[in-house]
Order: sequence, then C-alpha cells, then structure tokens
Amino acid sequence: MAAHATDETLPQGEIAKPNTAWIWKTFFILVGITAVEFVFVFLMEPSTFRNSIFIVLTIMKAFFIVAEFMHLKHETKGLIWTILVPMALLVWLLVALVTEGSYVGEVLQNMFK
Amino acid sequence: MAQPTTLQPPAASATQDAPRTGNWDGGNEPFKASYGKLMMWFFLLSDAFTFAAFLTTYGLIRHKHEVFTGAAEKFVFNTRWWPVPDRVFNAFPGLHGVDVPLGFVALMTMILILSSVTMVLAVEAGHRMDKNDVQKWLLWTILFGSTFLLSQAWEWSHFIHGSDNGMVMADGSVFHGANLQMNEYGPVLFADLFFFITGFHGTHVLSGVCLLVWCFIATTNGTFHKRGHYEMIEKIGLYWHFVDLVWVFVFTFFYLV
Repeated sequence: MAAHATDETLPQGEIAKPNTAWIWKTFFILVGITAVEFVFVFLMEPSTFRNSIFIVLTIMKAFFIVAEFMHLKHETKGLIWTILVPMALLVWLLVALVTEGSYVGEVLQNMFK
Repeated sequence: MAQPTTLQPPAASATQDAPRTGNWDGGNEPFKASYGKLMMWFFLLSDAFTFAAFLTTYGLIRHKHEVFTGAAEKFVFNTRWWPVPDRVFNAFPGLHGVDVPLGFVALMTMILILSSVTMVLAVEAGHRMDKNDVQKWLLWTILFGSTFLLSQAWEWSHFIHGSDNGMVMADGSVFHGANLQMNEYGPVLFADLFFFITGFHGTHVLSGVCLLVWCFIATTNGTFHKRGHYEMIEKIGLYWHFVDLVWVFVFTFFYLV
C-alpha cells in the first residue's frame, strides 16, 4: 500500500526513504476543489442548484480527507461500514429538520395574513 | 468454590501482567486496528454527531428565515433576511475598508488544509521511525494550527466590532458589530450560530494544538522511539484530520451557501 512504509528490512539505524507523492496529490486535489468552489461563489447567482453543487464538492473533499488522510479507505470493510452507516442517519436528520425549518418559516410568515 | 475464569486470572499467577491473548480477552483485533485507534474512531464518530447537531440546527434556523432574492449588490443588512455571507465576511487584516469577499476565510481554509498535509507527513515519518522528520512535520503542524487560531481570533474580533456602516435601528441609531443579543448583519440567531459553531470548532483546534505540543515533547524525549512505534502520532493525526473535516463543512454551510 502506498500509505505504508516499505516492509523491507533495513540495516540497523537506517531510515527508509520518504514516500510522500500520494500525500501531495491529495493536497492538490483538495486545493483544486476549494478553488472550484470559489469560482462558483463569484460566477453564479445563489440558487438551490448552486447550493447542491457546493454540497457535492464538500462531500468530495470529505471523501479525500477521510479516505486518504485518515486512511479509512485502507482499513477493513467492517470498520469502514461502522463509521459510514451512522453518518447516513445524520443525513436523514439533516434533510428532515431543514424541511421542518422551511415549514416553520412559512407558517410564521403567513400567520397574520 | 469460585471457578477461575478467563476474566479473572489466578492471583498467584506468575503471568499476571502478561497481555491476555484469548479471543474474548482482547487478544483479537476484529477490525485489524489497535484498541487505541479504534476508540479514536468511535470518539470522532460521536464528535461528528455533535457537529452535525450544530449544523442541522443551523440548517433549520436558516430555512426558517426569508431568503433575499434580489441582486447581491442591492442587499442591505436587515433582521428580516438571512445575511449574504460574502457581504458579511469581506474584511482582510491590514486592508481596512477594502471589499475582499471571503478572502480571509479562503486563506484560513488553505492554512488548515496545509496543516492536515504536514500532519500526514508526520504520521508517514513515524511509520519509518524517522524521529527528526516526525519532529519537523509536527512543528509545521503546530505552526499552521496556531496560525489558524490567530486568524480565527482576528475574524471574531472583526465580527464583534463590526463594519463602519453598521445597521440603522428603528429609532434611527446605528448599531455596530455583534453580540449574543444583537448584531448588525441579520437575525439575532445568525451571530449566535456563528459564535457557537466556529467557537466549538476553534476549541477543537486549540485542543488539537495542545495535543500536538505534547506529542512533540514526547517525540523529542524519545518516548515513542523507545516504545518501538509512533502510533500516538497516528491517533492524534486522526483527531487533527477530523478537525479539518469539520472545517470543510463549516466553510460550505457558513461561508459559501
């Protein structure tokens, strides 16, 4: 695995060569996605469509941080699912309460009409 | 007569301090991750719930308020509308009165991503048992982490003191800046959520910097080298990346959307 130091046995006191290409690659991907987000902020009028673009790009960034930097991609399947499945519940909570928020706002704004 | 069980080894046993190796005694690693790393993952999962609760609250409250639909230039701060972020966060240190929408937060995001990179580099150096490299990259991470904290302090200070224009109140007076009861940017809850969410994230960064300083001291003293592995750096690294991850979401929902 690229993320691991080589398993070759080294002579006593010697240190393996750094293996950092994958780290910088991930870094440039993250910077690139952030730059794309800024392009959309300034070149597009705010809309639900723009917000969905931001959410997709954010999830992409989250994927690279969790999978590569936190190394989750290289863990066992069981650990990956243990972390991801509870996250699905949070997405449900978010969607449910954002919908609820729109409804509450609508009720309050039309209360005295 | 009490039966000796695997959980209660005989008191007189000479191997009392030896690690237990049975399947149900902790001798097994079902996820092929050490106990410490696994528990860090579970802690981070619970921490993700906390931040998700904050951001969900933000989503609910924001959707409860009216959305400003006109052109962004026509937007004026008003308690009726949720503020447009690039009109609120448009100041840059040293550039007073210059409109730099989201410029400073872009810089802060870059600093935090860079600190994440130097953190992985420290973990990678730990795998190779390269003490000097671990020290070097930990120092860089501490530097970037502290810079982020200072930037956030500046951002808070600017948010609290406010812009030159302020908001004209109903009685004609002008209110500048923000506190928990009033703010010049928009609905009261906008500033409250800003303080709570970025403050909670900043507290996490502060704890992370403290842990990193401790890690640096332990590395310098050779504690991890004597132990034969740098797993502690990996565990603190997981925490540090999580803080970066939270910022990615805070950044999107507070500054972009």
